[in-house]
Amino acid sequence: MKLIHCPKVGTRPASEFVYGGLWRPMPDPDSTTDMEWSHYVFHRDGAPGVQREWWCHAPTGMWFVAERDTMKDEFLRTMTVAEAMKDLAHG
Amino acid sequence: MPLRLLKNAFSDAPDPRFFNTPRGLRDSYDVVIIGGGGHGLACAYYLARDHGITNVAVLEQGYIGGGNTGRNTTIVRSNYLTPEGVKFYDESVRLFQDLAEDFDLNIFYSERGHFTLAHTDAAMRTMRWRAEVNKHFGIDSEVVDRDTIAEAVPMMDLDCGGEHPVLGALYHAPGAVVRHDAVAWGYGRGADKRGVEIHQKTRVTGIRVVQGKVTGVETDRGVIKTGKVISMVAGSTPRVTKMAGITTPIVIHPLQACVTEPMKPWLDTIIVSGSLHVYVSQSSRGELVMGAALDPAILHSTRSTLDFVEGLADQMLDLFPFLGNSKVMRQWAGMADMTPDFAPIMGRTAVDGFYIDAGWGTWGFKATPVSGKTMAWTVANDKDHALIEPFSLARFDRFELVGERGAASVGH
Amino acid sequence: MARRLPLRDGEWIDRGRPLRFTFEGREYSAFAGDTISSALLANGVRVLGRSFKYHRPRGVFSAANHDSNVLLQSDSDFNIRGDVTAVADGMRLTAINTQGGLDKDRGRFMDRLSPLLPVGFYYKTFHRPKALFPFWENQIRKRAGLGRIDTQWPELRLPKRHGFCDLLVVGAGPSGLSAAITAAESGARVWLVDENARAGGSLNDRQDGTLRDQLLARLAGLPNLTFLPDTVAAGWYADHYVPLVTPEGLIRLRARAVIVAGGVYEQPAVFRNNDLPGVMLASAALRLARRYGVAACESAVILAANNDAYRNALELKALGTDIKAIVDLDDPEARGDLHDAVKSAGIAVHGRSTVYSAEGEGLLAAVTVCALDAEGRAKPETAQRIDCDGLLMSVGYAPAAPILYQAGTRMVFAEIPGQFVPEQLPPGVFACGRVNGVFDLDARVADGAAAAGEALAHLDMQTGPAARPGRSSERMSHPWPVFPHPKGKNFVDLDEDLQLKDLERAAAEGFDNIELLKRYSTVGMGPSQGKHANMNAVRILARLNNQSIGATGTTTARPFYHPVPIKHLAGRRLRPERRTPMHGWHRDHGAVFMPAGHWQRPKYYGPAPEAEAIRAEVMAVREGVGLIDVSTLGKVEVFGPDAARFMDQLYTLKLSTVKQGMTRYALMVDEAGVVIDDGVCARWGEEHFYVSTTTTGAEAIFRQMQRMIGEWNLKVDVVNRTSQLASMNIAGPLTREVLQPLTDVDLSQAAFPFLGARQGRVAGVPAWLFRVGFVGELGFEIHVPAAQALHVWEALVEAGESKGIRPFGVEAQRQLRLEKGHLIVGQDTDGTSSPFDANMAWAVKLDKPFFQGKRSLQILKERAANRLVGFRLPGNHPGPIPRECHLVIHDDDIAGRVTSIGYSPSLKAWVGLAMVDKALADAAQLSIRVEGAVIIQADVVPTPFYDPEGLRQKPETAGEVSA
Repeated sequence: MKLIHCPKVGTRPASEFVYGGLWRPMPDPDSTTDMEWSHYVFHRDGAPGVQREWWCHAPTGMWFVAERDTMKDEFLRTMTVAEAMKDLAHG
Repeated sequence: MPLRLLKNAFSDAPDPRFFNTPRGLRDSYDVVIIGGGGHGLACAYYLARDHGITNVAVLEQGYIGGGNTGRNTTIVRSNYLTPEGVKFYDESVRLFQDLAEDFDLNIFYSERGHFTLAHTDAAMRTMRWRAEVNKHFGIDSEVVDRDTIAEAVPMMDLDCGGEHPVLGALYHAPGAVVRHDAVAWGYGRGADKRGVEIHQKTRVTGIRVVQGKVTGVETDRGVIKTGKVISMVAGSTPRVTKMAGITTPIVIHPLQACVTEPMKPWLDTIIVSGSLHVYVSQSSRGELVMGAALDPAILHSTRSTLDFVEGLADQMLDLFPFLGNSKVMRQWAGMADMTPDFAPIMGRTAVDGFYIDAGWGTWGFKATPVSGKTMAWTVANDKDHALIEPFSLARFDRFELVGERGAASVGH
Repeated sequence: MARRLPLRDGEWIDRGRPLRFTFEGREYSAFAGDTISSALLANGVRVLGRSFKYHRPRGVFSAANHDSNVLLQSDSDFNIRGDVTAVADGMRLTAINTQGGLDKDRGRFMDRLSPLLPVGFYYKTFHRPKALFPFWENQIRKRAGLGRIDTQWPELRLPKRHGFCDLLVVGAGPSGLSAAITAAESGARVWLVDENARAGGSLNDRQDGTLRDQLLARLAGLPNLTFLPDTVAAGWYADHYVPLVTPEGLIRLRARAVIVAGGVYEQPAVFRNNDLPGVMLASAALRLARRYGVAACESAVILAANNDAYRNALELKALGTDIKAIVDLDDPEARGDLHDAVKSAGIAVHGRSTVYSAEGEGLLAAVTVCALDAEGRAKPETAQRIDCDGLLMSVGYAPAAPILYQAGTRMVFAEIPGQFVPEQLPPGVFACGRVNGVFDLDARVADGAAAAGEALAHLDMQTGPAARPGRSSERMSHPWPVFPHPKGKNFVDLDEDLQLKDLERAAAEGFDNIELLKRYSTVGMGPSQGKHANMNAVRILARLNNQSIGATGTTTARPFYHPVPIKHLAGRRLRPERRTPMHGWHRDHGAVFMPAGHWQRPKYYGPAPEAEAIRAEVMAVREGVGLIDVSTLGKVEVFGPDAARFMDQLYTLKLSTVKQGMTRYALMVDEAGVVIDDGVCARWGEEHFYVSTTTTGAEAIFRQMQRMIGEWNLKVDVVNRTSQLASMNIAGPLTREVLQPLTDVDLSQAAFPFLGARQGRVAGVPAWLFRVGFVGELGFEIHVPAAQALHVWEALVEAGESKGIRPFGVEAQRQLRLEKGHLIVGQDTDGTSSPFDANMAWAVKLDKPFFQGKRSLQILKERAANRLVGFRLPGNHPGPIPRECHLVIHDDDIAGRVTSIGYSPSLKAWVGLAMVDKALADAAQLSIRVEGAVIIQADVVPTPFYDPEGLRQKPETAGEVSA
């Protein structure tokens, strides 16, 4: 079983974590077309590579964002949601 | 004793090759199929046999049938939930039933009967829904009670050790298992014989699109000109669609399976339990072939996990308590291309000449013949075949999802 | 003749503890410590099994679980590996896969049929005529399979343990011992495992035990080193997670680094009749002699292709075996001192020769030896016969590398020493000893120490690892130990009865890459998973393809190293089950339970039959008073300055306008606009809400809430009260009479309006009360601390006794809510239903600024394809009654399904809900296809069916739609 590093709780076995899908900023619903919105809702960039994802440490309910290589199943880094937001704002 | 066996006594010479190794890639083909799995080879076979299109290259990055075709648990059935699904898979079952004859190759198509166990009232409702839809389309499918299950599978513990006793099941008599590799080889041999070129160890690195139209395919062995490209690559779909510049809802999750050491036959039917997340059948070699639910997180890898096989073993003992001393010999995984509505994505796309056959999740093997056949028709006519119209990529733009998800939490 | 040798130091058997067991009906003796194979050989029994396909006699081959020649059946187990399973007193064993016993096996004729059954024959026959295939398949199924399982066997489960260490060392041979000791002496917590009963590995098979004894003495003095014998490291999983299979059960070991010192599998040569009992690996003969005191043969020929062969010859001679000859595939002069040593020991050496075939009827009696030509082919004209009852092969090795492969090691083929060796190891994984291509004994010890140094550096426990001694400069494995014979029977895979010609034929038919070859021929797919077969298969394919071995490659190594029993994998049975505080009361009062997620809920209360009980429970609520345990609903408290905004964004209705002390229905959709949950939202303060969820959705919805707080960046906290608070719903016209005396909350119409929420005490316990109406009568939901809930429940039951209060279960509740037309998420909706499909447009406030799913609902508003409608069977309906999920049929097509149905005792009619095509929403009637394909007609009627004005639950506000 893999080990996952939660930025608040520390390193724990994967069985304590829940996967929450890709971390994707939502487009402004009021200014998107129906087509753009449907793509946001259903389409995914499913290609292998480094992705940002939602993960939750289930016993504590701590959600965080992980950068994971979906080819190698390697967590490159994990960060709090606030850090991820800041990163996005600067990035 | 079949005469075919006696013939072997008089000749040690091998049979003709199933597939040839073409000398090299040619400059252009009428159709390029990406993916030499069951679907790709079936499509090539039907393009050649039914439509006379033989100037076709099948490009396979590994070896024939080495992806999900060779990694699934070989179950064939048509007892789906939605009319679209039922019609489509019913056609697949019909094609499967005659495949050995078509190929003159024994694919060990073995109708064993398929029980989907229900452990809750909600599951019983879903079983009835499926049975009613199935019967509407003439599929042999019915809800059966505990006594019927006990008679057919007397060694199973219907109380499951105490919690979640079996309340009933959906029974599908035509449910079958097949020798999966042989399906790919039969299609490959049939396509090869008709002039299709099968290029193994040939990796597609790019798709050339000019003004919304496919013009060629780039590979690690050179560039090919073609106006028609079909992506039939299951777990590699997002990589290939990206080359063509389109996005889809497909994400990849591993699906794991395992087999035990061989034992003398004791299990004749196929048993699936959605609540316990297990499915099992016994192969003609005597191995128990077992699987469970998808891994929860996206992953483009066929690694195995211990948790999977531990959980599966635990649940198997609930159903078959006497299995403690049987040994799990080997585990493996495939990469399932999942869609939000658990139905495939098939047909034409926004890129002219780029066709997609994907979203096969955990139900791709059983669709092999019908996918090949309908995709061949679609490519030959440049129009979506009626059976696959509901599965177009554009359905997501219209919020017109297929409702298969209701029945497919463990959809085997 | 095999026999027991005189007692020697260091042997693993205890001659003071004799045991008895039977094999094939005959009784034999053994000593404690004997394996089944060693004990049978000691009794002179050399044919121990029949092969899988041709039923050829088979004997001990590797004595190391690298073949499956000796598989046995007992009264309680099957596929028992005789080579590595200890004899237990009283064991009753037979060989598997025989018909009528090992000697008289009626399956023997299969061997003569073998020319008819070339590789893949089953793909080419039996399918015509189609109708006969089931017959042939049945024959094949019966013949296939190995041992027999007894479906009456008891359930076996072994407990699991967890282990943690700095370093796991797999294999306790010289390099593994050295690695483990070195690391432990530096302070690391080390686990050392070996599948054998004792440490020492191949050191146990030599006369000179000095090195072994030295290493074991160091091992014994290290408290931070745990040595587990009889333990198989069954696989490698991410982050050094290794299942250890021990006789007591599975240990899930988490290591920080792993050293693989698993050694090698000795490999056979391929020649005619190389499977005859008496033909075996030289390592097997040594192992049997040194560990179990058993001579596998009296007179042996050694087939040699490396220096180990000569050492083995000398070792065996010292043990009393008559070594008839060494047949060396290479030039013996190159063996140097070893050649001189065997010559002075009087052993004849045939240089540049091979064993061309093994001779004997069911047992080895002689070998035919031929000289080799310049291309390494046998020259039949040079044949000479040497009588012997043992042929011992020392022609090469394959690395025991599955763990390395699983960890992601890149292995490359090295011509010297002639095997695959690690080229690039993943972080934290190290290899040493023979698996690493290091063969010299001192070098193996040094390699182990160096690997330990590297592992310690990886663990930041030491810097500057010692230099590796380097791989063997001798060729240890012959590049082509394959000698075709015109009469065949030269086996590559003993498990699968595969001959050289099978692989040649498979390749010629187009299966000419290693994976396809494996799949078509099944090479390496038997119980030993190719341990003795894969390397030769690769060599054969490489030669057929005129390719290098490196370019030919290997098949993917997947778990497990050895097959693992399900009883180990399953572990103890643990089925978490949640029970409400009133569970015991329900049980004591005749409740029949049904699962709801992890919970068990009363379905109804006996002893009356189900239908009768449910009907009585329904009527109690309609006419008197009833009480239901609803503790399983999810319960969440929401606090914070942004609480109101949070609730608005999470749910489809506007919840920010709920007044303090009031409640409102709460419906949740996902981003795609699909209904996923519902509940009731109460407001306690400006910044304080309390909301319920469905039972099965509780966990996921709460988690979703936690996530949305972050995603929306709101100042909100959520607290999951699901387990802390228990809840019960008291309902019926007599509710006030029962509840008022128990509570300080004024329940009067004026003080506590419909949809109100109050805090107070019930039966002396702090309680939250909500006046809600899921069942459509005057009713209050009471939430109290779980620890005091039973007290409150019992107080209500006691207070209600004179009013005929009755507990009711889930089924009665379903019926009651159906009469009111309230839907159940997941039953009346499915995975594609929007609120518009569910006829709940009233619950969607698209004029709110933003909420989850809003944009999708804007799109779906005009497109929803279905509509949930109510229907009622005509009063005089004579025919069969529809059941849930029976189909609605329109123009011979499916146009929907019944989602709920029940007989309403209040209305004296069958009523139900159906999800139908939108076009049918305004139809007067629905055609429903029921059991037996009968079509019946039902009237479409508006909901609620019962008390449409809601007068019974809120007489003061008649007319308003509520939930």
